[in-house]
Amino acid sequence: MPSEYEALVAALKLTSVPFAEYGWKTRPEGAYGVVQLDFEANTLNGDGGKLDRVWEGSVDVFYQKLTERGDIIDAVEETLTEILGDSWSLNSTQYETGTGLFHVEWVFQCMDTPTEEDDDAVPDED
Amino acid sequence: MPYQMKTEGMEEISELLEKMGAAAGSVAAQGLYEGAGVMADELGKSVQTIRTAPFQFAREGTRLPSPEEKEIVLNAEPGIAKFDRSGTEVNTSVGYRNAGYADLNGHVKPIPVIVNAINSGTSFMKKQPFVRKAVKNGSDKAMKAMKDKIEETFEAMTKQ
Repeated sequence: MPSEYEALVAALKLTSVPFAEYGWKTRPEGAYGVVQLDFEANTLNGDGGKLDRVWEGSVDVFYQKLTERGDIIDAVEETLTEILGDSWSLNSTQYETGTGLFHVEWVFQCMDTPTEEDDDAVPDED
Repeated sequence: MPYQMKTEGMEEISELLEKMGAAAGSVAAQGLYEGAGVMADELGKSVQTIRTAPFQFAREGTRLPSPEEKEIVLNAEPGIAKFDRSGTEVNTSVGYRNAGYADLNGHVKPIPVIVNAINSGTSFMKKQPFVRKAVKNGSDKAMKAMKDKIEETFEAMTKQ
């Protein structure tokens, strides 16, 4: 699991919006968020393995009150910038007529680079 | 939700198109048609990766799309929009925008709404971003198809 992603999840959970990974079993009352890794977006292969791996993921926030919007968007975007720099973008804003919820979606990319500890785990050939 | 495909490394192609003069717009459109076809195929493949579960109302959490909803998206082949041409600039889009409506257990729903609910997720539908994944996987292949078609047309023109 990319360490940047783990840091992002931890930081989002510290915001005023309740966050869960990959969805909620029971949707909370009021605004809430979901964060997840979606797929492998890019890979640098070499030495018989994956040297660097880029993951693409998304952050979704659902809220009902327009008055909440500014604070929620600021909190999420400041967190994304703090953890990932500029490797994120606002992907869509939508309105669900059936539930009356606003849905804002951000897409981010984070890199999974093997650490020195990972390298140590692979025995040398000679 | 529209996604834009960014084109990079097209300098050689721009130079070729400049050499073609008045035919450049038409040749660019032929190249774009090839690229759009590749992207439509990639989108079609990506639909097959959608996970499903028998329909049940998501009263508390989220649900997966039902097999019937996936079938509707599978049968709605992604279309290539009419080309918008202005001089040598040619634009199009690939997707389900004009895919029409489907009858889902007696409820008629617009197909783009079903696609968007699966791709972006909703408060009751689990997100499976198959369109974004197709754009990511198909961009390089579409770019290559465009370049190959334009180069092939240029070679044919110079042999005449």
